[in-house]
Amino acid sequence: MPSLTTQSETLTPESIPHTLLPFLQSQSQNTLTRLYQRPSSCFSIFRLTGPLERQIIMNLLWLESAIPIATMSAWVIREGKKLYDAALTTLANLHILPQSNVKLALNPTFKASFRQAITGGGNSSSFGVPAEKDDKRSTNTVETLDAYALERWETILHYMVSSGQGSLPTKPSQGVLYLLQRSGLMTQNHGSALQITSAGFQFLLHTPHDQLWDLLLQYLHMAEERQMDLVEVLSFLFMLSTMDLGREYSTEGLSETQKAMLEDLRDYGLVWQRKATSKRFSPTRLATTLTSSCPPLPTSTGTSGGPQSQGFIVLETNYRIYAYTDKPLQTAVLNLFITMKYRFPNLVVGMLTRESVKKALSNGISAEQIISYLTTHAHPQMRKNNPLLPVTVQDQIRLWELERNRLKSEEGYLYKDFGSHADYEYVLNYAKQLDVVLWENTSRRCFFGSLDGHTNIRGFIERRTNGAV
Amino acid sequence: MEKASHLSVILDLSPTQWHLSAQSSNQYPLSIHSFLSQLLAFLNAHIASKHENTLAVFGAFPGKSVMLYSSTDPVADDVPPADANSYSSFKVVDFTIVRSIMNEFDALGNLDEEPPCALVGALTKALCCKSISAHFHSPNAVEDPAVLPDPRILILSVSPDLSTSYIPIMNSIFSAQKLKVTIDVCKVYGPDAVFLQQAAHLTGGSYIFLERRDALLQYLTMSFLSPPALRQVLAVPKQDKIDFRAACFCHKNIVDVGFVCSVCLSSNHILFYVVKLWFTYMCTVFCQPVPVCSTCR
Amino acid sequence: MPSQRDGNYMNVDSDSDISLLGDGDGDYHLRGKNKGKGKAVDKKKKDKGKSKAKDQAYTWEASYTRSWDTVQEDEAGSLQGAVEDWIARGRRRRLLAPAAAIRRTIIRHLILLLDLSTSMMDRDMRPTRFDLTLEYAREFITEWFDQNPLGQIGVVGMRAGIGERIGEMSGNPQDVLKSIADRHRLEPTGEPSLQNAVDMARSSMSHLPTHSSREILVIFGSLTTCDPGNIHDTLDACVKNKIRISVVALAAEMKICRELCDKTGGQFGVALNEGHFKDLLFELVPPPAQRAMTRAAGSGATNPAADLMMMGFPTRLPDTSPASLCVCHSEMKSEGFLCPRCMAKVCDVPTDCDICGLMIVSSPHLARSYHHLFPVKPYDAIGSLADTPDAGLACHACARIFPTTALTSTSTEGMSPLNRYRCPECHNDFCGDCDVFVHDVVHCCPGCGK
Repeated sequence: MPSLTTQSETLTPESIPHTLLPFLQSQSQNTLTRLYQRPSSCFSIFRLTGPLERQIIMNLLWLESAIPIATMSAWVIREGKKLYDAALTTLANLHILPQSNVKLALNPTFKASFRQAITGGGNSSSFGVPAEKDDKRSTNTVETLDAYALERWETILHYMVSSGQGSLPTKPSQGVLYLLQRSGLMTQNHGSALQITSAGFQFLLHTPHDQLWDLLLQYLHMAEERQMDLVEVLSFLFMLSTMDLGREYSTEGLSETQKAMLEDLRDYGLVWQRKATSKRFSPTRLATTLTSSCPPLPTSTGTSGGPQSQGFIVLETNYRIYAYTDKPLQTAVLNLFITMKYRFPNLVVGMLTRESVKKALSNGISAEQIISYLTTHAHPQMRKNNPLLPVTVQDQIRLWELERNRLKSEEGYLYKDFGSHADYEYVLNYAKQLDVVLWENTSRRCFFGSLDGHTNIRGFIERRTNGAV
Repeated sequence: MEKASHLSVILDLSPTQWHLSAQSSNQYPLSIHSFLSQLLAFLNAHIASKHENTLAVFGAFPGKSVMLYSSTDPVADDVPPADANSYSSFKVVDFTIVRSIMNEFDALGNLDEEPPCALVGALTKALCCKSISAHFHSPNAVEDPAVLPDPRILILSVSPDLSTSYIPIMNSIFSAQKLKVTIDVCKVYGPDAVFLQQAAHLTGGSYIFLERRDALLQYLTMSFLSPPALRQVLAVPKQDKIDFRAACFCHKNIVDVGFVCSVCLSSNHILFYVVKLWFTYMCTVFCQPVPVCSTCR
Repeated sequence: MPSQRDGNYMNVDSDSDISLLGDGDGDYHLRGKNKGKGKAVDKKKKDKGKSKAKDQAYTWEASYTRSWDTVQEDEAGSLQGAVEDWIARGRRRRLLAPAAAIRRTIIRHLILLLDLSTSMMDRDMRPTRFDLTLEYAREFITEWFDQNPLGQIGVVGMRAGIGERIGEMSGNPQDVLKSIADRHRLEPTGEPSLQNAVDMARSSMSHLPTHSSREILVIFGSLTTCDPGNIHDTLDACVKNKIRISVVALAAEMKICRELCDKTGGQFGVALNEGHFKDLLFELVPPPAQRAMTRAAGSGATNPAADLMMMGFPTRLPDTSPASLCVCHSEMKSEGFLCPRCMAKVCDVPTDCDICGLMIVSSPHLARSYHHLFPVKPYDAIGSLADTPDAGLACHACARIFPTTALTSTSTEGMSPLNRYRCPECHNDFCGDCDVFVHDVVHCCPGCGK
């Protein structure tokens, strides 16, 4: 039934939570409650949650009293029950909606702050203090901010890509390098230059939005170790995400921690400042789209709305790839898994070959990642095809990956030399019940069991031999 | 990827009806001020739900329809500067809508007789608005249709049905159906509106008659905030009974039994003629159909 | 040939949109691009012999076209402006064309019988018979609903010896198109069974009111049929039920197919090639001329009042209402429609009430064709703002700002250099996009609400 398939398609994305949510869920209730005191944080966390969670929050937001749990669940149709329960669990883990068997009510701190966020007012100043108009200097246009963010971000990525090839591009700042190393995206061998790791290769194929959050998550982990107050770090990030692109904000009212963060975020390209001591800063597009789940990060491809923001790769059934790009970064990323043939000012032609894909696989990139990269960056012309990528090519890439997985090694124990066939059968059946048999050979009366089943099987055999004696 | 959604809200702003609605003789009086403040909270909630969500607000004033706000328009210059305590988009939305409504009310002046509200005009404008008609203008454009937001229209109605606008309303509904736009209707005040019930039914939206009018905001959030994709999980109330009655061409009355001229159907022009009879079937027996079809003669 | 007389006349086959441009008055009835040849053949006597479709029915008969001659580059050597101008002009032209005179019946019901047997995989029609059939069926359905707004179409497939319901009877073109959208679900297998499929189609039309026409259109690619019983019984039943069967065969003529059509009053045709296939299909879009003639003649003679049909507009009961027995199947159901005269509950509309015999239609069905009755008046293209200096700055519908200077230097008829089109009733200005949108889709002027 087509209607059913479309239904499941529309429902699946709700099960993929945002990368930040697990981190938030691991925080203590105390931390979260302090975070919820700021309306802007409530607002941003609200945006990060799934659609169903958002609807539940909105439903409960304006209620003064708690609502019986049965009343609420009557509102969900039977097929949606699973999703609804999952949503309630997520909200409970975030301490937004305390778990209860009788009545549902929002966390009072969250409720008060979020109401304030929706209606405005209060004096929390959590949405950022706009800077006074400066007559001497004109404010930055959106274009310059975009260009700045793009330059910063691509410097980081470019550095990662080219480290594997031995060339030396411009180095990002020390803080960025440290973060890359800490996150395991790059590693340093015996004092030599930084080298990209397999995690780093995978990182390169993610969407810019995921890349950004990956790095910020690492930053948050690092902040904990650097004794920074996590609540202040998070609320500053959330504040940035609610700000207006192209407007200047004042550093007044920021705490010391947040001022220190400003410096780091400047390195990543999230914030623009005239100089380090400047009293004003402007968030870039990287920062203001933090809580939007859609990919339109024009910074990834340069000018907004350009033809490239749509995608630039054409893949043919003969494994040829035509990439309409003049960006060295995109060329370098493509070079991870294709063999380059020709380069023109705005076009790169290459082939997906067995060698090139195997090289990528040995770097730790998976076949699915290659395919998803090609899909997300497909040229608009390709979008007319159904399926988007030629099936032959997709299958071949997966087959090349399978070639690497012909041998699988597992630790375990070989059980042999059984006294009788009945003995053998008896033990084998027991092992099968435990689901620990990896291989068996009846004619030679032996089988191979996995490591974690060994104690049980040994005990079983001993008991049996003891009992027989 | 979860899609962004576009919401077009159509406000029925008939001064007379709102005056009646605010009368304390009602069980739950609702003045336009408290209506607007609850509505703005709802609109903010829509924008808050997703960064990419877009919004357009249309007003149906007596004899005139006006676009009050559109999130695709550039921000007006005279909007007060952002302050640190509120999200800047909210401020722009709230300010622009309230100011445009006040301007329009002032421009109305003192009318002796209030012309009917231009609900049709507002509805057609909402359909013409680029976020919705884009599906029509670029059906095979290079851009992925998945990029365009899911459109829907919410009508907040206070006026009774206007049978003279039956044909244009039905035409708008069919075009909405063609464009796959969901129309939701919330009847804030007044009797049930037959045409709007049909609109909601035909486009797969929900029609809600507001019973507890003091709980407007809760009704709005529970029923109309969720985008169509989410309504597969949530049991959004639909209407119970749908009236499929039509308006006749001769007296513009709403009838449940009528006569359809088949002469004009088989002649060179495609013409229908619905003759109004009396409301009950008893009378249909006695009532003479008109001798000549006035539409096709 | 008109092409010799008319300078910018273009000899392309009528599948192309381009033919709408540049030609004169003769073929004004060619409003859309698809309903070309078949209908024109019917009407060629009326059309003063100028019908293009008659002159050149097939691509290979057309003279060689130099399509590039009609395109002119602008100063910078770009074609962009020319192409856009061209598209816009084509749209305007379509709007300005007078409404075609097409005969219609009120309510038509059609079951589309698709042959899904292995013979449909033959490649004698490109790419395959099956793919071509699906493609043409889609176009057919769109066109059919355009001309028969009150009609309903259901889809039944013949596959592996049985009739298979693919799409329920529906008045919404989207539903019908969706039912045949998924090619993989319809993959042809096995033998076709004409009898099974016709029986299934017949039973699904049995509840329909007497006023409506019941038709079956068979697209048949096989040369055999694999039936469980005597197909002549089925044929007799169809004759009794006044079901008209038309067959478009893709392979060759079969006696039984010919008989089905002849006895029920339908049309039979064997497609010679892709183009002819489409012609045969689209000939079935307008209601058959024969019938319309008799009705027109009959109504002219008798009292017109006798031709007023009484119709009832029901109330729909929700799924949550208490269950009760329906009058048509005597089943316990909670949803249904109430007859406005006798308050009996019926399952589906349109139908005849089983108790009082009133014809029950839902008013939206009727209203679907109102826009043919009261079309929006064409907007006037505004050449300059000299007479009305206080005209609005932005489009009245979509609130986009108008350009202040002329876009094109030369003003062609029907095109406004300022991209402004004014409603003659309410004197509001609209942009070109909205003009087309209002006339093609909304059928209601945003300014005057009519």
